Amino acid sequence: MNIFLYLDRGTWAHRLDPRAKILAVLLLFCLCLAFNHPLYMGAVTLLLLGIATSARALPNLWRLRFLLLLLFFFGSLMWPLFARGPTPLWTWGPLAVSRESLLYGVAMGLRLSSFVMTGLLLLSTTRNEELTHGLIGLGLPHPVAFAFSTALRLIPTLAGAGATIIQAQVSRGLDLGSGSVFRRMGKFIPQAVPLFLYAIRYTNLLAIALESRGFSPGAERTFYYELRMTRADWGVILLLSLLVAAAVSLRLGLGLGAVLPGRM
Amino acid sequence: MPAAVSIEDLTFAYRGQEIPALRDIRGGVEEGSLVVILGHGGAGKSTLCACLNGIVPHFYRGAYRGRVMVKGREVARQRVAEMSRQVGLVLQDFEPQLFSTNVELELAFGPENLGLPREEIAARIERYLPFLGPADFRRREPATLSGGQKQRLAISSVLTLEPEILAMDEPTTDLDPQGREEVLQIARRLREEKRTLIVVDYDPETGAQADQVWLLREGRMAAQGPPEEILGNREILQACGVKVPPLVELFASLGWPGRPLNFEGAVRLIQEENLARRRAPLSHPPSPSGVSGPFLLQVEDLSYLYPAHGIRALRGLNLGIREGEFVALIGQNGSGKTTLAKHFNGLLKPSSGRVLLRGKATTEHQQREISRLVGYVFQNPDHQIFCNTVYEEVAFGLKMLGEPPGSVESRVSEALETVGLAGYEQKVPFALSKGERQRVAVASVLAVRPEVMVLDEPTTGLDERSQRSLMEMLRTFHRRGHTIIIITHSMDLAAEYATRAVVMKDGGILLDGATREVFAREEKLKEASLRPSALVRLSNWLGTRALTVKQMAEELGA
Repeated sequence: MNIFLYLDRGTWAHRLDPRAKILAVLLLFCLCLAFNHPLYMGAVTLLLLGIATSARALPNLWRLRFLLLLLFFFGSLMWPLFARGPTPLWTWGPLAVSRESLLYGVAMGLRLSSFVMTGLLLLSTTRNEELTHGLIGLGLPHPVAFAFSTALRLIPTLAGAGATIIQAQVSRGLDLGSGSVFRRMGKFIPQAVPLFLYAIRYTNLLAIALESRGFSPGAERTFYYELRMTRADWGVILLLSLLVAAAVSLRLGLGLGAVLPGRM
Repeated sequence: MPAAVSIEDLTFAYRGQEIPALRDIRGGVEEGSLVVILGHGGAGKSTLCACLNGIVPHFYRGAYRGRVMVKGREVARQRVAEMSRQVGLVLQDFEPQLFSTNVELELAFGPENLGLPREEIAARIERYLPFLGPADFRRREPATLSGGQKQRLAISSVLTLEPEILAMDEPTTDLDPQGREEVLQIARRLREEKRTLIVVDYDPETGAQADQVWLLREGRMAAQGPPEEILGNREILQACGVKVPPLVELFASLGWPGRPLNFEGAVRLIQEENLARRRAPLSHPPSPSGVSGPFLLQVEDLSYLYPAHGIRALRGLNLGIREGEFVALIGQNGSGKTTLAKHFNGLLKPSSGRVLLRGKATTEHQQREISRLVGYVFQNPDHQIFCNTVYEEVAFGLKMLGEPPGSVESRVSEALETVGLAGYEQKVPFALSKGERQRVAVASVLAVRPEVMVLDEPTTGLDERSQRSLMEMLRTFHRRGHTIIIITHSMDLAAEYATRAVVMKDGGILLDGATREVFAREEKLKEASLRPSALVRLSNWLGTRALTVKQMAEELGA
């Protein structure tokens, strides 16, 4: 079972310098924050889907479709209750929903899932090692960068161990397919015990293995995959910077792209 | 010659434990020599390895006395990362040693830390990559490799450091015989380069190649000496819970002179001393294993493709297993043994073809029904143990399958009795030894009384005594009518216990038949990177039917 998000596909997005990709992700985050009108926000989401398509990262979006949809619907349903707009549609006690807050909710739903999509784009096209190297290249202290990427690295490992543990119990007759959602959730809880023990043991041995192979967090080391900013990297950053600048001037200069101008 | 490593009166007790793991260990390893360390489980072998690069006392703390000197430097005073430049250590548990996102980077990790230039790192990757196998593994994710391939990667990722001293803690537990042989070849090459090698192993046959054999027993150095002296001494080996090399055992029980440690040595002795005459070799092709009951499991044109990473693990495989067989599934690393076994109890569903369990496809069975019919013991017992007491653990499957409470109790005690853990009901499983945990895992599957028991590498990481008693236990189930299927890399155990051997290669079946006949086909086995044990090869050479020391002694003695 494959629990890694990285897809070894060798597209233009994979070949970008990790530093450029991290900056690009930050710029894309800015773009997500620029608008709160669902049409404008939708355009940003479409742009992300377009990038995902050409970076051949769609399989990962598909794998996590439930998370993405959940975030979208959750955002769309919750936000209208907290934002107030000038055209009321429905009130019930302290709760009020307006036309604007409804649209705002949709935009927020799109924004939440766009954030996650942006992160997925980065993880689908960037190796863990490249990410570490990129973070260091951008001036993050070594120990911080390594702690970050090791934590990221542990997630798939633990997910894999979890899957094996579940398999072992299923083969002993554990029935995960029946009962209500809550009953099913309840059946998962005991599996946390071996997983927890595994995690402790694993991280302990991981630390030993890292040092046994000469790793010490602060020391100078070579990175086998070389970082090189090419014209494509600068091009991507320039393009995205222009997009963000355009978006900001649309929003602030022309007042476009917002259903509730007072809110972010 | 100067000593590369010298251990001076080393005593170490893990924090919180009264009994020291190592006591008054004294020993020197000469530069360019190979030392093999043998001993029972818990004898302190791994602890001794951990002392060589400072994991003890830096990671595992405790009461440390005496000192370990490596090339004139005191290990305990250096940081582990610093020591790693001189001492490469391959840990026993290989999973946590693999943390990179592809094979190439895994191999590069050590040299990267040494700060070597890229060209040098590339050259080292080139040098050690072939050890993983002929296929191009460069871009593979370590997580998608088979157990044996992972172990090979763990070894080569330390080799790329090219340390002056290499210590390996049971580096071949999951390797096929060819892989074991390759590790030994690497050992020979390193010695030619004047590097020093320290290997902990469970198999005394590795010791035959050593300059020195160290025998540990309960934390003490029980014996130290050249292999002929130590490995030919049955009493001391047995006292230390180490397997007596079968050829030594054979020559001793026949009263023959000499104590050969390998096949060639035994042949030479037999010819020189004219000890036995060769008979006509077994030449007929493998025949069915003699069991004629109805089919329990039928595999038809089974193919399996791992959907996530697109690796084809099984290619149109056909196999039928009858009631009452004891089958050993053997084959090279990554040949698809575990993938096949996981189809037996429906954990994996065929990509094409089908698996019939009692005539009904596994895809049409309910998982519950399958669990009653097929018990599956996972390779790592820690993946399935999660209860607070042994009793609950063993009862889990029964409760899941809706067994009435009265019979749960009797079945649990029966299962614990069978695995030799009667009276352990209220103990905490996590506090037991690896061998005992393995038994709990077997008991919890056994309690359900499945017709078929599938065990994935049940003896890996167990010492001689635990291996024997586990296999004897399986033999008991087999005699009671259970069908047993084991996946194993131990040619010894397969030869001795299984009635039928199925040899896998590249996702298909290369050889299938009665164990004796399969093991007679050495040339064919070689294609699957397998080689029978020295004893079986001697039996093939002599033309005897024997697969065990006892059988052979009877056959030749008569």
